[in-house]
Amino acid sequence: MSQGAVVELSNIYLKSDRGSQVFRDLNFKLESSRSAVIVGGAGSGKSSLVEMLVGLRRPTSGSVELFGELVRAGRGRTVRRVRKRIGGVGGIFSLVPSFTVAENITFPLVIAAERKKVIKERLLRMLTEFSLLKQAGEYPDGLTRVENTLVQFARASIANQPLIIIDEPLAGLDQNTFARVLSYLVKVSLSGRSMIILASEPPPQELPNTTNYRIDNGVLL
Amino acid sequence: MTRIAHLLRELGRSLYRNFGTALSSFLSLALLLLLFDVYWAAAKTSDRFYAELLSGMRMEAFVDEAVPDSTIPLMKNDIDLIDGVLFSGYVSKESAREELSRLVGSDLLVGYDSLNPLPRSFVLSFSSDYLTSAKLAEVEKKLAAMPGIANVYYSSRWLNKAETTRAIVLNIGLVLGALILLSALISSTNNIRLMTRTRAVGFLQMRLSGAGRLFLALPFLLEGLLISGLSAVAGWLLLFYMRGKIAFTQFEVVFPMTDEIVIFCAAAAGLGVISGYLGIRKLLR
Repeated sequence: MSQGAVVELSNIYLKSDRGSQVFRDLNFKLESSRSAVIVGGAGSGKSSLVEMLVGLRRPTSGSVELFGELVRAGRGRTVRRVRKRIGGVGGIFSLVPSFTVAENITFPLVIAAERKKVIKERLLRMLTEFSLLKQAGEYPDGLTRVENTLVQFARASIANQPLIIIDEPLAGLDQNTFARVLSYLVKVSLSGRSMIILASEPPPQELPNTTNYRIDNGVLL
Repeated sequence: MTRIAHLLRELGRSLYRNFGTALSSFLSLALLLLLFDVYWAAAKTSDRFYAELLSGMRMEAFVDEAVPDSTIPLMKNDIDLIDGVLFSGYVSKESAREELSRLVGSDLLVGYDSLNPLPRSFVLSFSSDYLTSAKLAEVEKKLAAMPGIANVYYSSRWLNKAETTRAIVLNIGLVLGALILLSALISSTNNIRLMTRTRAVGFLQMRLSGAGRLFLALPFLLEGLLISGLSAVAGWLLLFYMRGKIAFTQFEVVFPMTDEIVIFCAAAAGLGVISGYLGIRKLLR
């Protein structure tokens, strides 16, 4: 793996459970501080790509490397270490129904065994930044869809994980939230963190430090 | 600290949100373990009763008519040297007659004053570890092989029956104990599985955040430990309370020692940990 690469997928072949070919010799590299927007239609393999990145799915052949570590589904320690460095929004990422908003947001810090004082400070910052102060004590089933998405963004930001994976970040948002999320994406892409955005439509504006890709017929173009 | 606080919060939340399931788990386990406790106390009581019965077990070795009285002290010495013999008492012809007279009354012996057909004998008692049919049979063999001993008698058939009965009771106890513990394990596992069923989404999200299996499982392991441990303690408390209320005049109920009860409660808590793991195992895959 080259120096500074956050993600490197090499010669990935993946068959779906039904036997159809999802990826054919897929190669992808994301350097540190860079972001990627991957656009693809329904069934193009976006979700499978995320599942491979977080170690939920093993490719038929090829290698998945994150932060210089070879990720293999089922290899507990490495997968856990890698997951701690990823923030996720949308798609397979959702909220823990039994946790309050505050608990959901702070969970990455709890896993990282961060001090209580630090957790409180960062939580307050996140709640303010995402306008969730009123919802801090609520449970996910009491949130609107937009609030739910914002809580996920707050969770993905609180621990400053070096990589954020966002699945359909702008889908179903009202105009106001759409603008806020877009400015958030711009902010992250300038922050030195890396981002992988998966969407069925490309964002309405170019993001800084970002390369655009399209998944088509099992390969990245 | 934050991780420990999170684990404790998770434990409390699980118990609070599934209070009915937790309570039914506690009650069913307490009843099952109480049943085990009752059987244990009954087994201890019957063991003591059996030991008391056996402690009265004697063997009688009858002396041949031809043996002169002067040889008796030598014979007694030889008998005392046999393994397991705790005490041997010599019964002379006169003593035997007196004993018979005491048992059946002097009227039946009128006219037989000059005759005494009763044999001389040694009455043997044994240390408790020798009070088994196998070991007493060995002693009987040794006695029978001694010169001057005409006949040996002890309640061998009664002993065999008592041992068989005891073995049956013990085997039933083992099966019953195993069944009770298995029921407790299954009941506790199912209750924890019920509590975790609705939490698959939450588990996946926690895992995606990098939570390890132990971190996810720990609240449920603690829950199993807590419920099973408390159920075991509750079972004993109830049994001790009942002992204070009910008095038996014919026999004394023997309870296990305090350290045995503590070990039992700890083992029950351990069983709870196992059931917690079994209940959550599927979600950890």
